[in-house]
Amino acid sequence: MHRRIVGLVVACFCAGQLTLPAQDFKLFDRNVQIHGFASQGFVYTNTNNWLTMNTSQGSGAFTDFGFNVSTSVTDKLRVGAQLYDRNLGQLGQYHPSLDWAVVDYRFKSWFGVRGGKVKTTLGLYTDSQDLDFLRTFALLPQSVYPTDIRDATIAHLGGDIYGGVSLRRNLGAISYTAFAGHRSDSIYSGFPYLAAEYGIYYSRYGGLQYGGDLRWNTPLKGLLIGASRMNEDLTGKATLVERTGSGTAFVPESERSRADWTNQFYGEYTVGKLRIDSEYRRFLHDEQFTVLDHVVLETTTDVRGWYVSGAYRVMKRLALGSYYSHYSVTSVAGGPYAALFPNQTDTSLPANHIYDKVITARVDLKKFWNVKVEGHFMNGYGASTYPDGFYPQVNPRDFKPNTSALVVKTGINF
Amino acid sequence: MKCPKVLLVATGLTIFASVNALAGDVKVIANASVKADTISAAELKHVFLEEKISLADGTHVEPVLEKGGPAHEAFLREYLGINEDDLQTYLRTLVFTGKGSLPKAFGSDTEVVAYVARTRGAIGYVSSAASTEGVKTLAIGDTSNSAERKLITRVEPDYPETLKRLNIGGTVRLRVSISAKGKVEEVELLGGNPILGESAAFAMKEWVYAAGRSRTTAEVSIVFGGH
Repeated sequence: MHRRIVGLVVACFCAGQLTLPAQDFKLFDRNVQIHGFASQGFVYTNTNNWLTMNTSQGSGAFTDFGFNVSTSVTDKLRVGAQLYDRNLGQLGQYHPSLDWAVVDYRFKSWFGVRGGKVKTTLGLYTDSQDLDFLRTFALLPQSVYPTDIRDATIAHLGGDIYGGVSLRRNLGAISYTAFAGHRSDSIYSGFPYLAAEYGIYYSRYGGLQYGGDLRWNTPLKGLLIGASRMNEDLTGKATLVERTGSGTAFVPESERSRADWTNQFYGEYTVGKLRIDSEYRRFLHDEQFTVLDHVVLETTTDVRGWYVSGAYRVMKRLALGSYYSHYSVTSVAGGPYAALFPNQTDTSLPANHIYDKVITARVDLKKFWNVKVEGHFMNGYGASTYPDGFYPQVNPRDFKPNTSALVVKTGINF
Repeated sequence: MKCPKVLLVATGLTIFASVNALAGDVKVIANASVKADTISAAELKHVFLEEKISLADGTHVEPVLEKGGPAHEAFLREYLGINEDDLQTYLRTLVFTGKGSLPKAFGSDTEVVAYVARTRGAIGYVSSAASTEGVKTLAIGDTSNSAERKLITRVEPDYPETLKRLNIGGTVRLRVSISAKGKVEEVELLGGNPILGESAAFAMKEWVYAAGRSRTTAEVSIVFGGH
């Protein structure tokens, strides 16, 4: 551990002597841009282990990086792609993924199309949630942007139509995005990881998702408000591993959502060096589990989250921020296996909520290099039937109701 | 006796000019391929935030930034209404989500002018004192209560000899009232040197806009000097 910290300090010192210009060159008379980012975090918690890391001992298993290449082929046609990789405790495990790969044709300002693997526009930060260098905070409010299940919303293989129009009579501007495509979760994501606790090992999880986003830059300077909606039709293929007296049985299991949807409402206000954000997200997950062609379990999970955040740039190299994040989850089960999953409907219980108060300081050592120190003061640990940061596998002695966390994170981008 | 008078006037004008130099010290330039002579402040903002890739007349445009300095700060404050941090955050969000590219950015007025001069559709900004040989300077019109009115006839204002000789220039901002038929009815000086403003107002009364459905107003910026 000490070696790693010393290595990090040496690396940081060396980085301080460098500059990181974006790469911009000509290829076949086209301007090609290369950009990238990387971050390394350290998390310590006083009680529960968090985000699948052994944080109660202090953990640095919090790394991610990405690189992209893009170019404009014509005035209206742009192509590009980004590779992304991460390791977050037991998640990601350094299995790289194609984060996005897009062909974008903009007919008019009010109408464009993009296809390929496209980042999903849902609320303020879904598409940019990995890019912590863009924000004051080390972790986005986990009630709305849970980093352990980023795959659930991050991108779709399909297409968008998008555009924007200015409104007459000084009523501001509207921009819209409509999307449809296929979501494909990594098996190194939070949902498969949690399912493994119940002996369910996923080989595939994903499905159709479609929806839209509408945002209004209001006439009040700096005020943006918007709403997003996403419907999903998801399926999962897994193996249910059951240990019996005579050995281990491997039983095919499948899962199908019946009516999954997400609604998100948001507002952002910037004035001078102050930025205030607030969002509300509700995700309804209604699914059916089938074993050997028999429906064994039906669950309806209702996840609601909201936050209010404020960030202020105190000086050129220092920004301070704080947010309150409010998360609650309820679940109701039916079917033959329902007795294994008792209904969870009381959101006042720590098992069904996480209330997180956060303070952050961000220091920009260089234009391309920042360090963040963040304190989380959490009450509750959410339900063990839905992934929300606290997992039974890394908390075998049950959960404590309160968790305080220190997050230190450094990142570079070019 | 004449010289002290000129000096007194010049000193007064210089002080006035520097007081008004906060936002007026930037001018918007474009490659010769850009057909428009005027661009609205709203359209300019859309171009630099990559929300628009062409102007109302169909000309493809490419925004060009300065990396910093007074002209950059004035441009962000006056026309984009955001600070440097917010601009970088906005543009990098586009870049890292596959929804846009980083515009070209240069460290000096000279480099911006050179790039704009050789790049089809390029639009940039420089300090009003910068030499803009090889590029065109766009007037900024901000329609405030209606759709944009197309300027059909433009008469260039006189640059008073004394001020020109003393190298006193800058940007003047005026609000113009346009009749439904396109005739300029009133011109009001909003900011900048009053003598230059007087000259600009005199010329603008000869301007003719396209006919519209009703009387409208627009804000126009005119740059004196720096060529």
